[in-house]
Amino acid sequence: MNRQGLEGYAGGMEARFPGRIRRVGYNHNEIHFHLEDPRDAPGICGHVHASMKARLATVVCTDERRHGNGFVIRYVFEKEGEDAFIFIIVPLGHGNSFPSIILHVPGASLYEREIRDMFGLVPAGNPDTRPLVLHEHWPGDAYPLRKDFRLGTKAGRREGVYPFLRVEGDGICEIPVGPVHAGIIEPGHFRFSVLGENIINLETRLFYAHKGIEKLAESMAPEEIVRLAERISGDESVANSTAYCQAVEKILEIRVPERAKKIRTVFAELERAYNHVGTLGGMATDAGFAFGAARMGILKERLMSLNEALCGSRILFGVNRIGGVVPDIGQENKELILGRIGVILRDFDKVAGLLGSKSSFMDRLKDAGRIPKKAARDLGIVGVAARCAGIDLDTRRDHPYAGYNIRNGRTPQEVVRDQIEMEKRAGDAMARYEIRINEVRDSFGIILGLLDLDGDGLCGEVPERMEPYQSALGYAESHRGQTLHWVMTGEDNSIFRYKVRTASFCNWQIMGHCVSSDIVPDFPLVNKSLDLSYSGNDL
Amino acid sequence: MLSISDVVIGILQAAVIMALSPLVTGIMRKTKARTQKRAGAGVLQPYYDIAKLLRKDEVVSDQSSWIFRVSPWINFVAIGTAAFFIPVFLAYSPFGLAGDLLLVIGLFALARFFTMLAGLDVSSSFGGLGSSREMMLSSLLEPAAFLAVFVVAVTYGGTNISTITEAASGSALLPHPQLIFAAIAMFVVMLGETGRLPFDNPATHLELTMVHEAMALEYSGKSLALVEWSQSIKQLILFALIVDMFVPWAIPQYPGPMAVGLGLSAFVVKVAVLAAGVAFLESSVAKWRLFRLPDLVSVAIASSMIGLVFYYL
Repeated sequence: MNRQGLEGYAGGMEARFPGRIRRVGYNHNEIHFHLEDPRDAPGICGHVHASMKARLATVVCTDERRHGNGFVIRYVFEKEGEDAFIFIIVPLGHGNSFPSIILHVPGASLYEREIRDMFGLVPAGNPDTRPLVLHEHWPGDAYPLRKDFRLGTKAGRREGVYPFLRVEGDGICEIPVGPVHAGIIEPGHFRFSVLGENIINLETRLFYAHKGIEKLAESMAPEEIVRLAERISGDESVANSTAYCQAVEKILEIRVPERAKKIRTVFAELERAYNHVGTLGGMATDAGFAFGAARMGILKERLMSLNEALCGSRILFGVNRIGGVVPDIGQENKELILGRIGVILRDFDKVAGLLGSKSSFMDRLKDAGRIPKKAARDLGIVGVAARCAGIDLDTRRDHPYAGYNIRNGRTPQEVVRDQIEMEKRAGDAMARYEIRINEVRDSFGIILGLLDLDGDGLCGEVPERMEPYQSALGYAESHRGQTLHWVMTGEDNSIFRYKVRTASFCNWQIMGHCVSSDIVPDFPLVNKSLDLSYSGNDL
Repeated sequence: MLSISDVVIGILQAAVIMALSPLVTGIMRKTKARTQKRAGAGVLQPYYDIAKLLRKDEVVSDQSSWIFRVSPWINFVAIGTAAFFIPVFLAYSPFGLAGDLLLVIGLFALARFFTMLAGLDVSSSFGGLGSSREMMLSSLLEPAAFLAVFVVAVTYGGTNISTITEAASGSALLPHPQLIFAAIAMFVVMLGETGRLPFDNPATHLELTMVHEAMALEYSGKSLALVEWSQSIKQLILFALIVDMFVPWAIPQYPGPMAVGLGLSAFVVKVAVLAAGVAFLESSVAKWRLFRLPDLVSVAIASSMIGLVFYYL
């Protein structure tokens, strides 16, 4: 969005909250409102969320005590339908608590709990006082993301019990599942309260795979963090490294060559495609339709071996670097992509037709795991989970980056048709299935459209030195949804703060809401249809 | 009184069922693997699995009682006993005097009763979940099984399996159209009783969706070997019943070296074809919604009813 549009917001906000906003800053498509007093935060955030129709995208806390600012909290809102991010920046001074905004913005609850665990700041007014990231065995006085917490500290251990929500009544049973599961999947605990087969309540306990990514990044060189970002969640490596690289490129004002942008996009779409195909296969497995799963598995394998042929990694590690990309797509690889994708697309259509014609499979999907649109909007759900409930979010279109150019390609008729399509979506597993099928085809279309690569280089000019304490937001759309990486540079070419918010962090919240009218044996299918990452959530 | 040769024939027929049952499971797994474009394990793999499990130690939950420990044995004995009433390579079973089709269904119910108790006994939530689903399904499947059996019984004049098989092998299917409907019902009941898709997915790792496997989840070592073997035997008994009642061709009436050879090879071929057919069917459907399964069972019941109407017409 252009500067004038952002200044329009600034004028509106200053008129609405006179004297409450100390300073307004601009950074590309970001507008920063620095508040005077933390106590104004709930009201102003509520206004941005409700009246300006902006979705809470992430909340970043930084420990700036060494610079005299105390802790600073940045609420990042994403304006619906426009390429603008609104930052509400709240310096806490010397206080160790901050006012909770969840009464105005319900989706903030998890972020506030995360900040309490990692920084030891108390969200005053948030009724959920349970730990989130750090489990009950973590000592109460160690806050990993504070600057005085040294990397490598042995934190010790204490005893504790996590208070699950208890559902009581005649015939209510509890089913604990995980964190160790029967299949080869990541750790997560699900606590079902059931009445017969009907799910009354589902509580999800995560963060068993917490790796300290954000703390680790503060000890690494910026170019090394690209590799770290790829490992946040192995199957969304391109999306995460793209988001990180774009944040740094935004700070350093690097001009990324067009060719590199297109190659980045091709790999991002290859990643989306192979994962969507994998998820479709997984849905067939969880519905007990092994034949469909096997056929999808074959297609996923072919896509992954194409990945390997193009960049040497089946899961697309090592594609991005700050300022551009590593692997080139030459004439030979271009023909390889054209040939293989043509065949894969033909087979994909066949398999999709087969799945669509299986009434037993379609019947399982229909009405399973219905996501309520209101809950999805309130909690800030992203990606396929939001789109299946009729919320039209797509970072690739809303905040064009790399080689994406989606909005310009649609005629007004197509825009209207898409809107009608959105309204019709029921939010169930069937809607997610259909969206994934369509997105695989779209991904192949985008890849084929980007293959006329022009001559210039693979990497822009990267400055030797970084200005300290500059920040920017990087974003990308993985197959799960929007991933946001906020980067602030530190002294001596270091990273002062690296905040990651993947789509899984937002979308895990909806799990408890969408199974409330389902029965227990449908849960694995609903879970798979949402396709959330544990590693990408737990960081 | 049974002669010595009758006793030998009876024991041999039961032994064939017990010995071949893991092979049938292996054939079905192989067929499923091939339809999914996988190589799959060899057809003898279930034998190796049982042999491996028999050598292993058991882990038993300290929350469980004697029920959990004896249940696999009761299972094995009940289902093993049923195997003695099934004609395999001859059109009759010498022990058939002691038990008929109703007893076979009753023995299956006894085995299932203890399996369900064992599922509840370990006080794991999955076991309880499996038991409650099994109770729901069995309360539907058993009446359907009886009804299907009655259609056959009224046609051939009795519920004794030897009587039925002897009468069937001497007659043709065409004069008895009700048998086609009974066969449809029996096939559905067989899918449910053996825990096949679309009722239950025997290959799943998802505890939350399991029926039979959920009850057996806590078993290990020798007990698990018994549970799995009993399940295979039960499956082969049901296959054999379908083969005996509805495709009774090339079953010799009197013993003799040639007759036994012919009967045995006919049995093996028929069962293998049926097993492969079930495996193909399993590959082509997804597991049904749990609460939609009663619809499928009611198809079986309706089919048997139509069969009965045809009989009296």
